[in-house]
Amino acid sequence: MSQDSKIIISNWLNEYGDELYSWAFYKTSNKETSEDLVQETFIAAFINFDKFQEKSAPKTWLFSILKNKIIDFYRKKSKEFSISYADYSNPIKQSDDLFNEDEGWNTISDITSQNWLDNPEFNAILSNCIKKLPENWRFIIQSKYILDNDSKQICQELDITTSNYWQIMHRSKLLLKKCIEFNWI
Amino acid sequence: MNGLMSTMMLSCKKATELVEKKSVVELAFTENIQLKMHLMVCSACKQYENQSKIIDLVLGQINKKNEEKQKLPQDVKTKIISEIEKK
Repeated sequence: MSQDSKIIISNWLNEYGDELYSWAFYKTSNKETSEDLVQETFIAAFINFDKFQEKSAPKTWLFSILKNKIIDFYRKKSKEFSISYADYSNPIKQSDDLFNEDEGWNTISDITSQNWLDNPEFNAILSNCIKKLPENWRFIIQSKYILDNDSKQICQELDITTSNYWQIMHRSKLLLKKCIEFNWI
Repeated sequence: MNGLMSTMMLSCKKATELVEKKSVVELAFTENIQLKMHLMVCSACKQYENQSKIIDLVLGQINKKNEEKQKLPQDVKTKIISEIEKK
């Protein structure tokens, strides 16, 4: 039985390994992390092989295991998602700099954002600006697309408060706005 | 009137914060009115709101495009097989 399941799992690894890896890489943007997550997925699949019922396709089953591994991966970091996390004092200060003492805008740009849409140049600027955000902030503002979930579910999955979540969104968007307007000609 | 206006009027920092809060949770009744009033008179914050939406839209598009094919390195495959062999 166990020998059979080893053969089946090896076949799955050859058949779906690349796809699972691509997906993990797309969700985490990190090679080593993706390799580890795929490895954990196949080991979990092997250990829980009796729970696999052929009601679902092997690929679907493997992807659901991987998805949970990805969420676990981010959940482990969830303390660092708190806006009060010490490492964020610098980006918080940078975003504060957009406002004066009365919390009004320091400078008002006359850039119209309408032509930002469907503009390859804008996409390039945004991709670059995003890289300058702290890693966890970058994750937070992309989390909707990474975890394919709405914000409330993401907060539950990551075990963070909704107020931490939107405060980080706010700070990230301010920094992105600043960076985009600076680079936009 | 001045006192009432100042309690009703949000600062720009607070208003933009509420713009983001609104996309996650439902705003309290007063917050909602305060934000609406602020956005009616403040074009810079209105612009922030538009920019925020566009950033979200474009992020969605970028994230779709980035889903490209990657190959799981052969040595990792071998390692996974040997890990399973050990079980």
